[in-house]
Amino acid sequence: MTTANKKELTIGVAMLGAGIAYLALAYRLPGHEGIDAATLPFLLAALLCLFGVLQLASAFGGAAPPPATEADDAKASVIEPATVLKTLGLILLYVVLLGPVGFPIMTTLYLYLQFIVLTPVDRKIRHLPYAGIALVTSIVIYLLFREAFDLLLPAGLLNFL
Amino acid sequence: MLELLQQGFGAVFSLNILILMFLGVAVGIVFGAVPGLSATMAVALCLPLTFTMGPQAGLSLLVALFIGATSGGLISAILLKIPGTPSSIATVFDGGPLMEQGLGVKALGVGIVFSFLGTIFSIIALMFIAPQLAKVALSFGPHEYFAIAVFSLTLIATLSAGSMVKGLFAGTLGIAVSTVGIAPVEAVRRFTFGLSELNGGFSMLTVMIGMFAVAEVIKLAETGRHAARSKAGSVSMKHIKGFGFSLREFRQELPNASRSGLIGLAVGILPGIGAGTSNLLSYIVAKKRAKQPETYGKGNIGGVVASETANNAGIGGAMMPLMTLGIPGDTTTAILLGGFLIHGIQPGPLLFVSQGPLVYTIFAALLVASVMMLFMEFYGLRLFIKLLDVPKHILLPIILVLCVVGAFGLSSRLFDVWSILLFGLLGYGFVKAGMPVAPFIIGFILGPMAETNLRRGLMLSDGNFAAFVSNPIAATFLGLALAFVLWQLYSAVRPRSGAIAQALRT
Repeated sequence: MTTANKKELTIGVAMLGAGIAYLALAYRLPGHEGIDAATLPFLLAALLCLFGVLQLASAFGGAAPPPATEADDAKASVIEPATVLKTLGLILLYVVLLGPVGFPIMTTLYLYLQFIVLTPVDRKIRHLPYAGIALVTSIVIYLLFREAFDLLLPAGLLNFL
Repeated sequence: MLELLQQGFGAVFSLNILILMFLGVAVGIVFGAVPGLSATMAVALCLPLTFTMGPQAGLSLLVALFIGATSGGLISAILLKIPGTPSSIATVFDGGPLMEQGLGVKALGVGIVFSFLGTIFSIIALMFIAPQLAKVALSFGPHEYFAIAVFSLTLIATLSAGSMVKGLFAGTLGIAVSTVGIAPVEAVRRFTFGLSELNGGFSMLTVMIGMFAVAEVIKLAETGRHAARSKAGSVSMKHIKGFGFSLREFRQELPNASRSGLIGLAVGILPGIGAGTSNLLSYIVAKKRAKQPETYGKGNIGGVVASETANNAGIGGAMMPLMTLGIPGDTTTAILLGGFLIHGIQPGPLLFVSQGPLVYTIFAALLVASVMMLFMEFYGLRLFIKLLDVPKHILLPIILVLCVVGAFGLSSRLFDVWSILLFGLLGYGFVKAGMPVAPFIIGFILGPMAETNLRRGLMLSDGNFAAFVSNPIAATFLGLALAFVLWQLYSAVRPRSGAIAQALRT
């Protein structure tokens, strides 16, 4: 089996898995005779499972469609799963701490660290400009939304200001 | 109509709205020009700014962004040979070679002028057709709305560029996600897992911000550190008269432009399908109808004209179902739908009755923004070219922060921020699996519309399904939907790759 087919197979398994999970959840819905709130979810679950099976069948049959253009683009350049994981970790940390620590501090920290993580390999990491951009962006967005657009972003630790 | 339009222009010509629109068009052009950023993202990110504005100012800003971003894609398509947005893919085919031949300014001038003409043509069509369509739609009940929603959902199949199964799965998954929350009619909680925040379901805007913007940041993380930096070619504006091309060339391209404008408008009206498809379609038609088709792809301005007229003509087209039926024509108008709702305005046929002046303010804003786009994009070209060089590793994290602000601003709760993260991951998964996002969005928006109107229709007809087929309009749309599905199945069985799919591959 080719790599492309293996990928299509994994996608099929994920599609079927999503369909089965949705079906299991739909079973728990209260229902009655005729069309009710559970009718559409059951229909959708059946369709999701059907498309999952069709995908698996086409992957097994070796008739895997050419991957989409975006996938091609991704293949053309070096893929770095570590950078994706680091980015996801940073975003997760940012969202978790946004409430308790507050928008201004967390945004500054997130931006600074994310700039470093995403800096292209052929460029030098410039700590001072990064920190400056992060701090200014965070303060400008916080104050702009607070003063001009009446949106109170979480202040967190800076609540006393 | 003229009186209402006069009122509309009166509202738009206030200083603050003009400044907002000026900024909107400029920011839109930048979003359109920078590959990876899109019109959808521009409107989604600027939506929180409009929360405290009145509907006139807020919606004027949003349509200005829409117009700027749809047109801005041509800058990178010609200078970098990378389409800034999917709506400019076909612009690269001839815009790139023209740039290589040293005719970059001409290509840009042609692109910008015909973008403008495409937009104006579609807005005029919108102004004349939409009020008539709204009058007809006023008599629509649940049966008709159900049939229209089902018809629109079947169009999802055409959005599936790579694999139809994946496209259909994405659309079905979109409807499945929309079932979260309180069910219509009998108010049963579905898939809320005891979370009160989920009672209202996922907000449309969190889904869109997550799928389009957050997913883009994660995508950059994957390849961005090794991506080759593309340097925008420089163009000299010295000795340039007018827009860089002659009146004769302009006249020669008028038939091509008219045809492409009609294609763009017609494709734009169809729900879910927008400029991303129409620019390729009109390019293919223009090439077929050209006297020297072999010159296409080697630097024929006709290619740029076809693509740019069609993609901008989609603006008025996509606004038509949005304003008259509340059904977005593409993903950007889906966000605009969110913008309307945030300002307490329900798009649909009643909009023309209850909010007549606002409707014409939007028409006026569209016209004014088009004129602004024409001059700003051409004469501010050097500035926009400089902005293409802004490093992505600085830009995209800032965009993520703006996504967080936008999500939080919807109802000041962190739950929405978690939602955009969830949909960002889903969007990234879609990219990895080669699954198209547009069917998911269309399913998410039209699913509840279909279900609610099915339940209401059945209540009206005492559970009798025959009422859906005995109603002439509903029966027509359901018949069209059935015919379309059968045709799609026939095309899927017959081994032949479509012209658009072929163009996408090349």
